Amino acid sequence: MRRIGIWIAVGGLLLGTAACGGGSGSGTGGSGAPKSASLSVGFVAEPANLDFTSTEGAAIPQALLVNVYEGLVKLSQDGEIQPLLAEKWDVSDDRTTYTFTLRKGVTFSDGAPFTADDVVFSLGRVKTDWKLKIKSQFDVVDKVEKKDDSTVVVTLKQPSNGFLYAMATRLGAMFSRTGVSDLANKPVGTGPYVLGAWRRGDSIRLEANARYWGTKPAVPSVTLKYFKDATAMNNALLTGGIDVISAVQAPESLQQFSDPNRFQVIEGTTNGEVVLSMNNARPPFSDKKARQAVRYAIDHKALLDTAWAGRGQLIGSMVPPTDPWYEDRTGDYPYDPAKAKELLGGKTYTVKMRIPNLPYAVASAQVVKSQLAQVGITADIEPLEFPARWLDVVFKQGDYDLSIINHIEPRDMGIFADKSYYFHYDNPQFGKLLASADSGTEQQQTDDLKQAAKLLSDDAAADWLFLFPNLIVAKKGVTGLPKNAIAESFDFTGLAKQ
Amino acid sequence: MTGRMNASLLTGGALVGVVVLAALASFVWTPHDPTLVDAARKLHEPGGGYLLGADKFGRDTFSQLMVGARTTLYVGVVAVGIAALLGTPLGVIAGMTPRGWLSELIMRVNDLVFAFPALLLAVMLGAVYGADTLTAMIAIGVSTVPAFARVARAATLQVMVTDYVLAARAAGRGPGAIATRHVLPNIGSVLIVQASVSFAIAILAEAALSFLGFGTRPPTPSWGRMLQESQELLFSTPRLALWPGLAIAVAVLGFNLLGDGLRDFLDPKLRRIRAER
Repeated sequence: MRRIGIWIAVGGLLLGTAACGGGSGSGTGGSGAPKSASLSVGFVAEPANLDFTSTEGAAIPQALLVNVYEGLVKLSQDGEIQPLLAEKWDVSDDRTTYTFTLRKGVTFSDGAPFTADDVVFSLGRVKTDWKLKIKSQFDVVDKVEKKDDSTVVVTLKQPSNGFLYAMATRLGAMFSRTGVSDLANKPVGTGPYVLGAWRRGDSIRLEANARYWGTKPAVPSVTLKYFKDATAMNNALLTGGIDVISAVQAPESLQQFSDPNRFQVIEGTTNGEVVLSMNNARPPFSDKKARQAVRYAIDHKALLDTAWAGRGQLIGSMVPPTDPWYEDRTGDYPYDPAKAKELLGGKTYTVKMRIPNLPYAVASAQVVKSQLAQVGITADIEPLEFPARWLDVVFKQGDYDLSIINHIEPRDMGIFADKSYYFHYDNPQFGKLLASADSGTEQQQTDDLKQAAKLLSDDAAADWLFLFPNLIVAKKGVTGLPKNAIAESFDFTGLAKQ
Repeated sequence: MTGRMNASLLTGGALVGVVVLAALASFVWTPHDPTLVDAARKLHEPGGGYLLGADKFGRDTFSQLMVGARTTLYVGVVAVGIAALLGTPLGVIAGMTPRGWLSELIMRVNDLVFAFPALLLAVMLGAVYGADTLTAMIAIGVSTVPAFARVARAATLQVMVTDYVLAARAAGRGPGAIATRHVLPNIGSVLIVQASVSFAIAILAEAALSFLGFGTRPPTPSWGRMLQESQELLFSTPRLALWPGLAIAVAVLGFNLLGDGLRDFLDPKLRRIRAER
């Protein structure tokens, strides 16, 4: 009987949590936030190591890029490319030669000066030493040459609009020629922060870089605290353990932070399109009509309201509103179950909906299932462990009919051009538009990509459920938080605390 | 097999009865479709056709609880069935050959399985074969086998030294006949009690697994997943966690009391001892 006693205690605990949920009175906080030289920010995924040149994963550049490592250019909150370590750059008329003029008086945190040689070294390393898939974005680079100590010339094989954008990502990060021996543990960059301490499994502390060339950060010590559980992170903010939640995982829980005297909720955008992917390679969704039926059958507004507390934005194609070629495509397939039934021709289908076991996917899947049932499509939900199982079954083997995943990579419409990618979308016209967009002028690029996004939507290559919101909660008085999560980094440089 | 009704038996029986009734009723009638998403009814307050309110998907909590009871009992029945069907013969064999190598082997393997947590097994099975109700039932069932085997073995050992078994042996009865004619009928009451108690454990295990996302697949209602989905709304709508939590507590308490009561009811010896005190 002792064992049963324990089980009941567990049951009681679950109940107990439920019961005391009602009154969330707090004893701390409220009376004048203390002036402090440090801030701590809660995150969910901890980096495996600190080397983003050889280890995949968003957590490393999130912590280090812009903060510890800087590139020649950076991405602004509005999606514009701005100068950083380069004062300016000139593009030749044929758009294959980029001449960067470097900022003077910049030093690395190990004391070495930053010169054109470091640029040649860092950009060269991408091709020779990097082990990431995304390094293929630099395939277009023909050669990188030093003109003088503060001028670098990059020559491309053909014109590419993607190149400068790639320079603003981790690919363009500048490394010291003497500072790459232990990237996994000792990052050396030119940024406003240096690594202070890393307590594995718990936190990373960044300290102000005394040698920084620009404006010194207002908060000299920032701690990135890692939580495995969203509720634990929420509680840490409620009890004062952290100052900022970098990304809220459960939007319904925002109500606990509704007191404006204590907290501020910041909602911005991300590059994450929550895609209802349809397997274009096998029936029933090899048929465009069936795919279109799915798009008509889903009430996207209702889905967002129920599954994600109405936070986020409806998009309708693979472009977030912060990209220059964004157009509102939500009107392409208005909610119309009658039309969906008509497109299906009265037939009914049973399909496999294999989703990652992530909160947004499980929540959205239940709404999708309920709505598809109204038009005669039975979708059997099967949550797969993420990442390993989902990547293997859905992404690699393509054994699925429907799936739901947040495609977080920036400017990732190109994945639809690859026939072998798990959507198996196949329309040569789309590939042509993308190719001409990359090599054309900026205006051509915008026009072509608008057309490409429209084509995707018309073909119903997938359905776009919503744009994942960036939800930050911070204590009142914390300013300078990056509202939109559209770059790879969580930019601490503007942070301040009153 | 006679005895007197007692408080545990009546209370336990009543609680279990409520759960069983809800589950059976859900086959023919629920107030609303428990899986129908309706944005207009999001977090509907209790009342107006929604007895216990609706969750963030606009699904009726009461209907979900009813169908959830079905899921719970289904898992319990199958898991305990697996455990009883595997554990009882093993226990009886071990009990009838107490000094044989077979008995040793059975009981040591038993110890090994006993040391392995049910939840871990379920998570492993779920990772390999895809988590659903079936993997949960198998994992819970297999992990409960040792409990049955031990109880069956202990009871068999007692039966094997009784006069009537000695007489049957002397008369030349084979082990198969002794097992079915003498042992099983006499250890039956102990096994029924064990089944009831294991049922309670299985219910909690299923709830825990569904809470962790390794049990019943969405959107099939399950009390554990209802708890999990209510987690983010704990501060604003605590009733969403309260009802499934209460349902789990009622079911577990019911089966435990039923087990206790059945033991008293089925075991005249125990009753006499209590009376003498």
